[in-house]
Amino acid sequence: MIPSGIAPTEVTRILFQDFSLWMLLAFYAYAITAMAVFAFGVYVQVRKYRSGQRGAAFSWRQLATRLADTAKVIASHRALRRRDARTGRLHAFIFYGFTLLFIGTATITLQEDILGPLLGVNFWHGQFYLLFKLVLNLAGAGFIAGLTYMMYRRGWLRPPKLDYARPDRTPEDADFSRERYRIEDWAFLWTLLLIGITGFLLSGARMVWLQAEPAVWETRWWAPFGALVAAGLKAIGMSSEGAGALRMGLWWFHGVLALTFVALIPYTKAKHIVTAATSWLLKDPNALNHLPLGNLDADHIGYRTLGDVSSRYLVQADACTKCGRCHEACPARAAGYPLSPRDVILTLREQANALLGEVLPKPRAAACATPLVGLATGEFRPDTLWSCRQCGACTEICPVGVEHLPLINLLRRDMVDQGNMDSALQRTLGAIGKTGNCFNESRRKRPQWTRDLPLKIKDARKEPVEVLWFVGDYASFDPRSQKVSRAFARILHAAGIDFGILYEGETTAGNDVRRVGEEGLFQQLAEGNVETLSGCTFSRIVTTDPHSFNTLKNEYPDLGGSYQVSHASAYLKELLDAGRIAPARQLDFTVTYHDPCHLGRLNKGYDAPREVVAATGAKLVELPRSRDNSFCCGAGGGRVWVPDPPGTSKVSEIRAREAAEIEGLDVLVVNCPKCMTMLEDAVKTTGNERNFRVMELTELLAEALEADAVAPAAAPAEVG
Amino acid sequence: MKILVPVKRVASLDDEFELRDDGRDVDPDFCEFDLNEFDEYALETAVLIKEAAPEGTVEVVVLTIGPDDADDTLRKALAKGADRAIRVDDADLGDADRVAIARIIAKVAEQEEPGLVLCGAQSSDFGHAQTGMSVAALLGWPRVAVVSRLDYAPGAASATVERELEGGLVERIEVETPAVLTIQLGINTPRYASLRAIKQANAKAIESRTPTDLGLSTGEIGGAGALSRVRRVYVPERGKSEMIEGTPSQQAARLLEIIEEVQG
Ligand code: SF4
Ligand code: SF4
Repeated sequence: MIPSGIAPTEVTRILFQDFSLWMLLAFYAYAITAMAVFAFGVYVQVRKYRSGQRGAAFSWRQLATRLADTAKVIASHRALRRRDARTGRLHAFIFYGFTLLFIGTATITLQEDILGPLLGVNFWHGQFYLLFKLVLNLAGAGFIAGLTYMMYRRGWLRPPKLDYARPDRTPEDADFSRERYRIEDWAFLWTLLLIGITGFLLSGARMVWLQAEPAVWETRWWAPFGALVAAGLKAIGMSSEGAGALRMGLWWFHGVLALTFVALIPYTKAKHIVTAATSWLLKDPNALNHLPLGNLDADHIGYRTLGDVSSRYLVQADACTKCGRCHEACPARAAGYPLSPRDVILTLREQANALLGEVLPKPRAAACATPLVGLATGEFRPDTLWSCRQCGACTEICPVGVEHLPLINLLRRDMVDQGNMDSALQRTLGAIGKTGNCFNESRRKRPQWTRDLPLKIKDARKEPVEVLWFVGDYASFDPRSQKVSRAFARILHAAGIDFGILYEGETTAGNDVRRVGEEGLFQQLAEGNVETLSGCTFSRIVTTDPHSFNTLKNEYPDLGGSYQVSHASAYLKELLDAGRIAPARQLDFTVTYHDPCHLGRLNKGYDAPREVVAATGAKLVELPRSRDNSFCCGAGGGRVWVPDPPGTSKVSEIRAREAAEIEGLDVLVVNCPKCMTMLEDAVKTTGNERNFRVMELTELLAEALEADAVAPAAAPAEVG
Repeated sequence: MKILVPVKRVASLDDEFELRDDGRDVDPDFCEFDLNEFDEYALETAVLIKEAAPEGTVEVVVLTIGPDDADDTLRKALAKGADRAIRVDDADLGDADRVAIARIIAKVAEQEEPGLVLCGAQSSDFGHAQTGMSVAALLGWPRVAVVSRLDYAPGAASATVERELEGGLVERIEVETPAVLTIQLGINTPRYASLRAIKQANAKAIESRTPTDLGLSTGEIGGAGALSRVRRVYVPERGKSEMIEGTPSQQAARLLEIIEEVQG
């Protein structure tokens, strides 16, 4: 409340109080220069982004939805709080503090330089002014608290993900050092902190200086932190004149620093204020499960040179705040492969800045023609790109919407086209091209797993079926997975489902062929399967293979095949709910469940499999990393076809050890034939074979469905 | 300068297969067809020479003999870096043997005048390893078989090649060009032909020729021009044996039965 006897219009802050004309001129000159430097920086950055390839434009409706979503994510800090809640919250302090202070300054400018002089509208006084002061004081305090925590975190807590060691380079490489980033990080924090602190000091000094004016002094507690500073200054005996001089000095320091900060936003990490929001706005909502359709008729495919990269990725490259969430989540990085998704996006940033982001324009054409992949400084190393499992852990967790997964895929497309890949991978792709499966088996052998079944599965090519079961390569050819396929067939049969398969008419769905980067072969396989399916009558597709599931569901529509596709686990859940199958007994195992990337993270199929486990009566103990944070088995992205180099620990072994930590574990439940292959192997190589078994969810359920099943899932008896 | 690479579309068998009605080959329904693996190495050798030379100075020409099914093989070769593809076909080629095929290759070589003819050391389905050598004989050119290393500067009067012998020995040979070389597996790493590249190769024309175009008479091609003929392809019967047990008279009875079975 305004103390009585003071006119509300007096309760305000007189801007530039006691400034001489030259000071005013100097200030405005500096401010205008700063704005010009800022604007030029924005121009340089936008020019850089515009060197990229443009994607399809949004409709107004899409734009509105995206804007709303972006605003929500920023306001709630949802993406920033994940897996690091405290840092996220303190970032919110900085964010809200900064935003309010920014709005405050903008309000003053609006009043002082626009509304006041032009329209004679004055509102910045009286009660409004006091509330304004209070809000900004609190904002400033939050801002400083947040910044201080970040300094504490960087300086003392030192989380490993903030150590910028590059797994894709050695110290001999010119682009190994991340020192510049470290310096920039600290400079950024210190600048903001100094702006915040000098703001309070300035406020306090002004109060002491104008202590004789009741409109200032009597209302000082509306700016509580400023008033505390004022009390402190008085306590150390600061006079009004002394405070006046201090105020003048601080005013310039604070003002010049703040303006300099603004001027440098486009040139420093501060630009994430804008780029992070833009990146989120532009991001592809299906980046995890749907790769962009490649044009096979263009003169090359994927990303070969800097000029091929889409503008979206160039913005993302600038949005990355090096927070390390992707680095921490990446299974290839964890197993010691020369890949960190953060360094992938930073490599793009550095290359784009060096070649396209120069202040003085360089010849665009030459910069755009710079190759992206190679062994030279600043290039993506082939080894790095081939280490990726396309598991999506990076893209899923990134708080600013960076899409490493499709970026890596697009880079691989050109490498595949140039034959720049492992020879084992080459052989597998050759085999798939020839036989339609990655086992290099003849097409005729595809349905042989059905031979030992006591039932005859319908041929969906010859007669209509309700459920078309797309079996997939591993479930058809891999002896271990064939058992699971037979178990699934028996369950469907017992439930009286009208189902069929495509027999030798099926070829691999091509999900992993696409993830390897062999886009042409993928499209051929998909077109072939779409053609086969178009000759069949069915109402839905079910598959036990999450990889086939993903591509059939999300990518086949681009190639003319839109179906209702379910993963077996979701389908089994439906059958349980409908009472078409019912467990005959409850299993008393302790189990854990490994989320397959393609079902879980990529398609959010987290719950159905867990509900199926629950129906068996088994006790589910979650792995430390589960659901969206599930840790890939290592098979994805075609890595199942490439032998791991000697000396690297396998991704699958890390996962097997994680499961082995669970006390009393009987069964590690997997839900994907490739996970089965990888993890069963890893359980053996980590010496856990006698401790627990690996079973597919389907098998676990089959066991619960059989009334007369005998052996419990104890570990196999010790032999010899 | 040209390099001619004759390639073959080879068959690989299913585990289960049936023979053709005339019993002289496998029923093609049971085969998967692909570019002969040895030829992939020969082609890669040629493409590497081309890539090392100034652009536009070396032309790699692939050639195959057979019906239009073989176009796939040529497209794959084009996708892997060949510049031109020629297919020679005639209804009478059916019974050609290696020499009859070599005669066609030699004629194409006479027309194209390559500095080198690079063949695969053998085909992976029949494995005679004769075609390349027959081409050299027909042309009267120098030849080296089973080459595991090649140094050749396009246009040079000779090439240096190496062959691996027993006991880890390596034989280094200088051979005058034009020459015919047959290339061993492992001389390099053949590149992958992406499906996109194969599709784009669809746009390239395949030059089609007939033996008549090449100046060959009907007596020189197909079965008539062959020096050998496949009589029969078969799976040899496994030897059978049986332990005859029982009393002497039972054994004698069983023995009689068997004699009658075999005499049939
Ligand atoms: S997709 Fe998976 S393996 Fe690839 S970079 Fe991202 S986290 Fe790493
Ligand atoms: S890419 Fe995203 S998750 Fe990775 S460091 Fe940058 S901001 Fe963090």
